[in-house]
Amino acid sequence: MFHVPKKALYKTISRRKFLELGGGVATVLGAGSLAVGLNSVIVRRPVYASSSDDAKWRQYEGSKLVFMSENTPPSFAIRDNIKSFYDLTGIEVDILTDGLPTVQQKVGIDLRSGRADYQLNYVQDKPIGSPFADFYADLNEFSKDDTLPLDAQGYGDEVWFENFLDACGVYYDRGPIRAFPYDCAVSCTFYRQDLFEKLTKDFEADYGYRLEFTDDTTYKNMVDFAAFFKKMHERDSSIPYGYAQHHGSFGWTTQLDIQRHMYAQNQWLDFAVDDTLGSKNPGPTNWGDAQSIKAMEGYQALADVSHPDNLTNGTLELNTVYAAGGVAMQIQYHEFAASVEDAEQSVAAGGKTAYAMGPKGEVSWNSGGGDNVVNATNCGIGGIGINAGASMDLQRAAFIFASWACSHDTQLMVLKGVGGTPTRKSVLEVPDVVKARQRPTTMPNALTFEAVYDKGIRSPNMVLGPKIPKANEYHEIVRVGTQQCISGELSAQEACESIRDELNAIHDV
Amino acid sequence: MAADIAHTPDEARRDIARGARTIDYTPNAFNHQPARYYLLWLMLPAIIVLAGISLYPFFWLIYMSLHEVQLAPGKSDIWVGVDNFLRLFSDKKFASGWLTLFKYSALCLSIEVGLGVLVAVILNNSRLEKVLVTIFLMPMMMAPMVAGFLYMFLYNGTFGWYFWLLRSVGVLEGGTILGDRGWAMFAVVATDVWQWTPLIALITLAGLKRVPQDQLEAHMVDGAGEIRNFISVTLPNLYPFLLIAILLRFMDNFRFIDTILIMTGGGPANATKILPTYLFDVSFKFFELGRGAAIAFTLLLLTILLGLVLTKVFEDPARKLKTGGGG
Repeated sequence: MFHVPKKALYKTISRRKFLELGGGVATVLGAGSLAVGLNSVIVRRPVYASSSDDAKWRQYEGSKLVFMSENTPPSFAIRDNIKSFYDLTGIEVDILTDGLPTVQQKVGIDLRSGRADYQLNYVQDKPIGSPFADFYADLNEFSKDDTLPLDAQGYGDEVWFENFLDACGVYYDRGPIRAFPYDCAVSCTFYRQDLFEKLTKDFEADYGYRLEFTDDTTYKNMVDFAAFFKKMHERDSSIPYGYAQHHGSFGWTTQLDIQRHMYAQNQWLDFAVDDTLGSKNPGPTNWGDAQSIKAMEGYQALADVSHPDNLTNGTLELNTVYAAGGVAMQIQYHEFAASVEDAEQSVAAGGKTAYAMGPKGEVSWNSGGGDNVVNATNCGIGGIGINAGASMDLQRAAFIFASWACSHDTQLMVLKGVGGTPTRKSVLEVPDVVKARQRPTTMPNALTFEAVYDKGIRSPNMVLGPKIPKANEYHEIVRVGTQQCISGELSAQEACESIRDELNAIHDV
Repeated sequence: MAADIAHTPDEARRDIARGARTIDYTPNAFNHQPARYYLLWLMLPAIIVLAGISLYPFFWLIYMSLHEVQLAPGKSDIWVGVDNFLRLFSDKKFASGWLTLFKYSALCLSIEVGLGVLVAVILNNSRLEKVLVTIFLMPMMMAPMVAGFLYMFLYNGTFGWYFWLLRSVGVLEGGTILGDRGWAMFAVVATDVWQWTPLIALITLAGLKRVPQDQLEAHMVDGAGEIRNFISVTLPNLYPFLLIAILLRFMDNFRFIDTILIMTGGGPANATKILPTYLFDVSFKFFELGRGAAIAFTLLLLTILLGLVLTKVFEDPARKLKTGGGG
């Protein structure tokens, strides 16, 4: 049917030879793509302090870096706009994102291996920074190097919001800075203002005061609110449950949730340690003392009237429940405002949600009297750090990216894009951002800025939480103890004492 | 007359010439005994690969279990002897991890074996056997992680279909499936049963095809009913197959943590924290690699030991049957 030349090429190659060739090519291509795809590349041009800014930005043109990050808005926005960094520097950055527990494990293994496959890491202060601080380069070495393109605002404590640099950059020693604040998740209350207004008369009839959320609303009020909504839900399933806590399977979410509750009462802390610095030897824990037991009883009371899926939902899932109209209140991180205000994925969008500081402590829940109660606010400050196992040139190239990613302009770009959470003070002074704090807004996260930046992170409301090398084990112990309490397996006292014993055991106390 | 044996055509011709009436002709090529080293060389690549992927990690595991593996850069591991093992005696989570694992494994195995054998018996020689077997095998084709996500959504307290179903029929009153300590364990067991009962059924089905018909017929002629026949003839013949099925699932239960990690992460309040998930936490969340290695070593030892016990338990009836002692 078709003409086949006698000396056709395929006839000159035996089947065995063909298979050998195919196998060889596949192996070479596979190994090559792995090598190019996964490994970093470094190319360097000499620069001097007197070189132009352009030369300093482009000194590593042609290099390639890998950034392992959490799947949070800044990383998505930066990945979408990575071309602007490439145009500026000629450096290619591969941004890999994953859920925080996975990032924690991947980064931990990479740091421990000494291979530095990920030269840039998302250093979430407690789960990643605390156990691995020693593996990160001291950024002071770069931030004073005038052969690098330095940020005009600088990198000192004064350019970031209060405590942010300490939270993610300082570990156990005031000298080195291990990471720059890249994004932040600060807790505040999200509540359904439309439902509060609609149901306030019914609530007032039952409880004798108005259903409204103010800066003076306490955790005891929250129990009332949640019990009321639960009762209403049982009568009419279109009305959501009132409240839900953060539990799920990731220890840190539960630890942060109960930490707010505990700190609101008498500014209670887990350890007698300066949280801005942390400690490698935190000593005996305060769990099990009278105040912790009293506060745990309050936490249990709130759990009893919360959403039935209370023990299942981690932070992300809880926000999904809120956005789906499953609960009327949540204490959530302000980065989630962008998704809550997105009408395509949330029934709580369009002015239905209002934002406030976290509830205040309840005076009657203070042990031993006293009226020291605060609107406890906590956070996760996500830093960007550089793997000290990488070569010095890779570290310098990585610094150029870190500096750019944490700059005023990049943070503003992210905020205007998918909804960032600025860590530089100057971003909040931009007129567009000031205007965006009021509805209608093009930057939904800005609706939370009053609750978060103006009030929540200010002293005495802010609690950073302990930075200890065994942070992840500590989170897990607190999670399990707390869940044993609210599931009824242990009493508040037994749970607090169990947490105390386990924490003391891991610290050889 | 004894046959002459020839190994080459020439020898055969010579024997015929000598008048031999029967020649047993066995060419040397079939009779050749290769040198012992030749076989060793043939096996060497496989031995090297096996050593690389199992022996080296095994000895590394032992090394780590005897050291405090250092996290800080540049620091060498500290020899601690058997301290990591001794610490396990006072570790409540280690003990509860074992208990939860036994509970989980026993529930999974008993339900899967019971259900798997039942399904196999129903499917065996049925009119739609091939179609039904294909459909039935589908859950097994799914990655355990995907099965975990699937069931996590089905159990979800906000939009989960199973949650809605159990609520509607009044079985689940207050809490939710994965948020309740008791229900959570049954939920993860149900997921495992859904995914792996087909494997037991498949292996059992293969066993049912091998049950000797003559034994069955003889027993029926003796007046045995179907149930008696199943217990006395079919089941003993299935022992070797059930042994394989149970061993496979037993070892899987001891090492598969994907679905549990996805669905509950061991929670709520450690209700589903089987030992392998605790091992994962210790090694890859807390980065206590020495302690993790000690846990892994005990897990490995006990798995081997229990595997041997299981083999023994199932081997005896099977042997009795072969030697005529059973049935």
